[in-house]
Amino acid sequence: MKSAGNDIVALAKIDKHRTCQYRFYSKILSCSEEALYHQPQFTEFLFEKFVWLLWSVKESAYKFLKRNSKDLIFSPLRIVVQHIEIPSVFLTVKSNENYWTVTNDEKTVYKGKLTYNGHTLYFRSKVSEAWIASVVNGDDNFENVHWGIRSINDDRYDNQSAKAREFLLNELNLLFTGSLRTEKNPVGYIEIIRNNMPIDIPVSISHDGMYVSYTFDLTCFHKMNNVRSA
Amino acid sequence: MDRKAILNELKKVIAPYTENKMLLDGINEDTDLIKDLKINSANLVDIIIDAESKYQIEIDFDAAEKMYNVGNCIDIIYEKMNQST
Repeated sequence: MKSAGNDIVALAKIDKHRTCQYRFYSKILSCSEEALYHQPQFTEFLFEKFVWLLWSVKESAYKFLKRNSKDLIFSPLRIVVQHIEIPSVFLTVKSNENYWTVTNDEKTVYKGKLTYNGHTLYFRSKVSEAWIASVVNGDDNFENVHWGIRSINDDRYDNQSAKAREFLLNELNLLFTGSLRTEKNPVGYIEIIRNNMPIDIPVSISHDGMYVSYTFDLTCFHKMNNVRSA
Repeated sequence: MDRKAILNELKKVIAPYTENKMLLDGINEDTDLIKDLKINSANLVDIIIDAESKYQIEIDFDAAEKMYNVGNCIDIIYEKMNQST
């Protein structure tokens, strides 16, 4: 399935006390997901962070699926994280949490699998002291999935949205020439317009508090170019 | 409590989670909490929890997923209040 979905949670905005209350987290986590937290690998991981990590995965999955199901409603308990593993190289981002971009980082990210209504999707997440960010993909190969996070100076909604788009376009402009802009599709997802034509690169943006994030998947673009050059 | 009274109280529940308080003055039953009021989706859970406390009701999973617009919120609160009386 061609799509993209991401999410970012600014940890400064969460209510730690409320997050740890059953009546709150039980609206986000199923019993099987709560059991994942009790694995030995999460011994030193704060529960409130675990809740928001799974939230970010689920919101990313919703955005990924929404592109092809326009009437889909976000319902966290219907999206079920089946498996999650911690990074093989455990690094909490400290020095670069104000600007971080990545492609195909398999060592410092959380990895896992989720299901929704017969679909199986895969995710990668990054956890810093200030934010939790996730991306979702239709298969477990994230080689062509680019994503990034950066801080902003003004957390008003309109500024967040503008800065997220700007960040996405700046990163795409490192790879593509020509005039790029974003346009919102009637379903609600963002398309990239290059020289006044939509290009086949699914993208997603997210913002929360003082952070914005993007993802784009170049798999379809590479396939098309390989076919053309063959 | 009728729908108009629930709407007036609901505005108070929503207010902490919307940046532009002016938008609240113009809300109606078709107002979408995320698209129109620019509420962060993560705060929808807060709104559900706050509504549960305010109206002394319990909003289950099936009802919670419908609470993305004002009309649906009023429907659910009205229904749950009548169940609990």
